[in-house]
Amino acid sequence: MSKSTGYAGQILEINLNEKIAERKDLNKEFCMKYLGGIGFNARIIYDGVPVGIDPLSEANILAFSAGTMVGATFPTASRTEVSAKSPLTGRFGTANSGMFFGTQLKNAGFDSLIIKGRADNTMYLLIEDGEVSYLDAAGLWGKDSWETIDILKKKYSGCEVAAIGPAGENLVRFASIENGYYDAWSRTGMGAVMGSKNLKAIVVRGTLGIRPHNVEKFLDVSWKARKLIESSPFFVPFKSYGSMNAAMPYGKFNALNANNFSQGCLPDWKEDFARSKVEEITNGHIACQSCIIACAHWVEIKEGKYKGLRMKGMEVTPIASFGSGCGMSLEASVKASEMHQKYGMDMVSSSGVVGMAIELFNRGIIKTEDIGYEVAFGDDDAILRLMDDIAYRKGLGNILAEGTLRSAQHFEDGAASAMHVKGLEIPMIDPRGRTSTWSLGILTNIRGGDHLRCRNPIENLRYNENKYNFQKERFGFDRPMYDALDMPEDLKPKAIDLENDTTDIAVMSRWSEDLINLFNSLGICIRPPVEHKIGPTVLAEAYTAFTGIQITPEQLMQSAERIWNLMKLFNLREGEKPEDSKFPQRFYKIEVGGKKLDEVQMQEVLRQYYLERGWDSDTGIPTEEKLRELGLDTMQS
Amino acid sequence: MKNMLMIDHHKCVGCKNCEMVCSLVHEGICASSLSRIRVAKDERAGWNVPISCVMCEKPLCVTVCPVGAASRNPVTGLVTFDEQKCIGCRQCIQVCPFSHANFNQALGVAFKCDQCEGEPQCVKYCPSGAITFEPLEIALHQRRQETAQKIAADTLI
Repeated sequence: MSKSTGYAGQILEINLNEKIAERKDLNKEFCMKYLGGIGFNARIIYDGVPVGIDPLSEANILAFSAGTMVGATFPTASRTEVSAKSPLTGRFGTANSGMFFGTQLKNAGFDSLIIKGRADNTMYLLIEDGEVSYLDAAGLWGKDSWETIDILKKKYSGCEVAAIGPAGENLVRFASIENGYYDAWSRTGMGAVMGSKNLKAIVVRGTLGIRPHNVEKFLDVSWKARKLIESSPFFVPFKSYGSMNAAMPYGKFNALNANNFSQGCLPDWKEDFARSKVEEITNGHIACQSCIIACAHWVEIKEGKYKGLRMKGMEVTPIASFGSGCGMSLEASVKASEMHQKYGMDMVSSSGVVGMAIELFNRGIIKTEDIGYEVAFGDDDAILRLMDDIAYRKGLGNILAEGTLRSAQHFEDGAASAMHVKGLEIPMIDPRGRTSTWSLGILTNIRGGDHLRCRNPIENLRYNENKYNFQKERFGFDRPMYDALDMPEDLKPKAIDLENDTTDIAVMSRWSEDLINLFNSLGICIRPPVEHKIGPTVLAEAYTAFTGIQITPEQLMQSAERIWNLMKLFNLREGEKPEDSKFPQRFYKIEVGGKKLDEVQMQEVLRQYYLERGWDSDTGIPTEEKLRELGLDTMQS
Repeated sequence: MKNMLMIDHHKCVGCKNCEMVCSLVHEGICASSLSRIRVAKDERAGWNVPISCVMCEKPLCVTVCPVGAASRNPVTGLVTFDEQKCIGCRQCIQVCPFSHANFNQALGVAFKCDQCEGEPQCVKYCPSGAITFEPLEIALHQRRQETAQKIAADTLI
């Protein structure tokens, strides 16, 4: 496939020890089975990472794969997946980011970049129109990611940069890889893997272009997809407020992580983080490649201690992680976001581990002399100082840099304050306040406690009734919403019960995980207006017109399912146990807003989800029959 | 009134949809380097400025072209390059005050915006209304109203 259409056509495999690169042509069967993005990574990591290795050893592999549809006119197709064995969870580590890196990678000639081994001396890579250069990073090592990107963007005009900051260099287990200044491959510690390889940055630029197979049909389907997205009722709110839309509903439902999941919502949340406050400090919209929503905003702090701080921001996850999870002010939450981008550190895990430390401090288990200063929820200065200590592994920060699961073991009864699932810190949402497809996803997610791989495409944030034994969530939309959903006709009535106005959480979780997996393979954004309106039918049409490879909607969904199962097999091979799929005990024992989860009932929802996946209902292990159906029966788990 | 390609960079979100569709309809490939409109940007500082041909009344590219490949239609005002006549000397690129004229390495010829025979695709694909194709008087009226609205709001007692 050297004269490839849609795809760039090649995978670049780089060995850092030997400074050699190998180019492998894609073939049609591989493309159809694994699609691109996370799908390519799943196969690369499963095949290439030996069982049981230390993720920070040179045996680990770091894979960057651009989504298939990236770098053309299909709306929101901009995203690139980065995967490796996670140093934080020991499982399939993976993170997804947009902007322009994937476009440049494909323009440089490659759909995927596989990085093996470890450089003898600190290094950065330049990948340009099919060529690779191995360059000395001595002048960059020690610099933060913004300084690094400044230097490289000046030196290689028009390039895109993936870089690590001090956190990645210092092997903080939740270090991120920064994707330009304001975006990142953030979760599961991909930056620590890059740091362990002595790799400071990857610079990509190219002029090779991306050629759709059938230009006319591809433009037609791009336009059709745009009109679909614009017709979603979620479109205007997301264009206006981005992901901050979720901040107030989740607060209202007592469904936020407030002060390390000790409350459902902070008392002043509504006043301090209201839309009007957000509007005061934001202006202008920013888009990723080919986006038509432009959900990101410019933020400018106009008064107070951080006056003059100007950056792209106002994503709900960082704002809620710092503002609610640690009780910081809105202005300090923006400051903390800036710090994490410069240091290259995951905001969710960082706020999670800091939340744990403050709780342990309040419980008298961590003492002032252990840290060197006092910490408290809402103490902006102390929290920022502790985060700085983590990035540079100073004092107690050196322990916290190991993440909640590991660092909790250093403290008496530390585990009781460690809010993670499978070693990954749980983000802003508390399932006690709102039990939904989204919250079950935290439990079933391949990468652990994370909310971005499972979400009801017709989620209705007006409702949070918990009267269905955690098995259903309120649908609450009109019939046309149901009719227009791009979902197989036999699955629709199972997922949505129109008569009783409910969505089945287990069925919808399985469907939306596969759908999001498909998006992450093709490089499409998972923002609600997109997830609501774009489904396998329009994507099959787009994939075929773009690549020239005939594919059906059913085949696309099966590939997405195959990819999910393969990542699950990776986790099982690394020793994942059925009992790992549990929330922290606090969610079952302590109420927030008068609600808690029922462990037995949650287990039943999980059992239904396993059955829906075709997995053993007790163990959550894919059955032989399912693996045979997906062509994965020869894989070792 | 004749239509003009108008760019309001304050509205640009930096998505590069214009670059993708432009190179696709002209060259059958999505490549910024072959687009007739380019979004100059500084992600750190936060500005995006789309740059295309402004169709000069006295175009330097036409003046400098030694073989008459660059020409301006006196009726429509459209400045175009004839790829058949172009000898690839790149003088038009050197003199273009907006760094708009560009060079197709594969074909060895210069290229520029041709306004897609009256239906610029960048206008159609721009999601934020930053690029419009309309008579100058109408575009300016719109902008004047928007500015005036702000002035009026600021001075309301």
